Amino acid sequence: MRMWMLAAGAAALALTSPTMAERGGQGGGKGQNAQKAERGQVKAARGGDRQVKAQRRGGDRARTQPQRFTQREERGKDRAQTKRAFQEERGRDRVRAVQADDNRGRGRGNDDVRVLRADRDSFRGHDSRRFADGDKVFRVRDIDRRGAVRFRDVDRDDLFVRRLGFGAGGCPPGLAKKPVACMPPGQAAKYVGSPLAAAARFAALDSLPNAFRPLYLDNDDFYYRYGGGYVYRVDRDNDLIDSLIPLVGAALIGQPLSSSFINPYYTPSYFNAFYPNSPYDCHRYGYGYVYETDCATGLVEDVIPTFDYGYGVGQIMPASYGYYNVPYAYRGSFFDNDDYYYRYAPGAIYRVDRDTSLISSVAALLTGGLTVGQPLPMGYSAYNVPYAYRTSYYDTPDMWYRYNNGYIYSVDPTTQLVTAIVRALV
Amino acid sequence: MTRSALKLALATGLIALAGCDRNEQAANDSAAQGAEAVKEAGDKTIAAGIDQDSRFLSLAKAAGLDATLAGPGPYTVFVADDAAFAKLPAGTLDTWAKPEARPELTRTLSYQILPGTVLAEDIGKAIDNGDGKATLATMGGGTLTAAREGDKIVLTDAAGGKATITKADEVLANGVVHHVDTVLMPGSA
Repeated sequence: MRMWMLAAGAAALALTSPTMAERGGQGGGKGQNAQKAERGQVKAARGGDRQVKAQRRGGDRARTQPQRFTQREERGKDRAQTKRAFQEERGRDRVRAVQADDNRGRGRGNDDVRVLRADRDSFRGHDSRRFADGDKVFRVRDIDRRGAVRFRDVDRDDLFVRRLGFGAGGCPPGLAKKPVACMPPGQAAKYVGSPLAAAARFAALDSLPNAFRPLYLDNDDFYYRYGGGYVYRVDRDNDLIDSLIPLVGAALIGQPLSSSFINPYYTPSYFNAFYPNSPYDCHRYGYGYVYETDCATGLVEDVIPTFDYGYGVGQIMPASYGYYNVPYAYRGSFFDNDDYYYRYAPGAIYRVDRDTSLISSVAALLTGGLTVGQPLPMGYSAYNVPYAYRTSYYDTPDMWYRYNNGYIYSVDPTTQLVTAIVRALV
Repeated sequence: MTRSALKLALATGLIALAGCDRNEQAANDSAAQGAEAVKEAGDKTIAAGIDQDSRFLSLAKAAGLDATLAGPGPYTVFVADDAAFAKLPAGTLDTWAKPEARPELTRTLSYQILPGTVLAEDIGKAIDNGDGKATLATMGGGTLTAAREGDKIVLTDAAGGKATITKADEVLANGVVHHVDTVLMPGSA
């Protein structure tokens, strides 16, 4: 039940722009690092919760899978209880992913779900509208023309911002200048090999938004058109769609997760910390993608690309990365500004364009990271401490030093365990 | 007689002491050289240090990794020269040039990058400690296997390809560049 309703509101959330909590990073100059880090800690704590909740959902699954509704309804109650227990157990009490729901989701008694569901229509009345989410009360403060909604958390006297999606499919903010509906990926894929006109029937096509133009340059062989959440590459010779680049959603969503997508031999060490399972949502890692599946049905609900298989430039930063989450060691180097914000996702720190939510470059690559007490992972037998620190930290028979993600760690050569962080760099 | 015995004892002591310090001394020397090299590199980052017309850099730009190589790091980058890219199966480069292949390109490039500053000497030591081979973790998540062949260090990639380090230890402000004669391939997805 819960999932179904979430799916209904999926679209908008999928691309909710990460405007919230940027104050954590925006603080600016390097002089404020201490203060920033402190705030960052609070943010990160809150953010972690949202991370779980807010990994939401590309396409239009409510529409494409009506049969799931009944199943879900039957399970609803039990699951709700388990879910609550789970959440209490984890102390995750501040999950407040705000969902914009086009005319759905009101008055369905869903308060077991700690997700604030907001009906777009209701924002039009703004100001006095209050939402209760458990014991939390939020008030919609205002909504601007671009769909950014400001909420006030009454308890904490804290203002936060969420951006609503546009159109039925929640087209990316800044891209959907017209009310264009976004298309489920499976349907879009059928247009490959068709004349461009076929796609145009579904969604108004236009030249690429400015932010894409440098990435997808027209040339003698091909030109690009954008519409309905996809970039179409068109062959100039025959005017057929040669390929398409999804900017929302992924083709697997709504399909059962086949075991061939899962790599049983390799899962990155960060995986479990970053994508914890709940009684509802089971995460599986496979060949560079994290699949969020419904634990009961095994259907894929979301596909989150990770950097090791090339999540990157030109893609939309998923809505779940809505808060400043750059590792502390890098906060002095990458802080949000008026044009860009920085987000950490497993594997890298990305620089994201504020207007389009597109990843514009990879600011830093990071590994899964070392943890004190863990065995030194495979591949760290070679000494790799940066030059400037080699006089202080050099390998001896009793102690090794290894660099990783902005820190120098000491390692016991006998046990091969990481014993301590001895220095923070960057 | 007593005097010469004393001398002998002193000398032995000194040698023993010197032995103890050897590690430290060697580390200091290499670090001092390193500090020199870093000073020489000044603000020149890896992105600036790589040949600006090289294929490697143009691909890095396409993948948005040029900002990474100009960032804080430090990284160790195995830069394949243009001849190495020419050795790739026909059509590979054309495929990488397509926007939809960007994930694949990014994956391949991040397979050429290691975390931290790893000098050829460090790889060599790891090989010696590891019974003739050393596994190196890359930024892309996969690993490379390093071994000695003659006086060269040879890297074996996930696809079984071999790359020889042709020019090692180009030290820059945010890491080190080793030139290799083959593009390292991360294996199929």
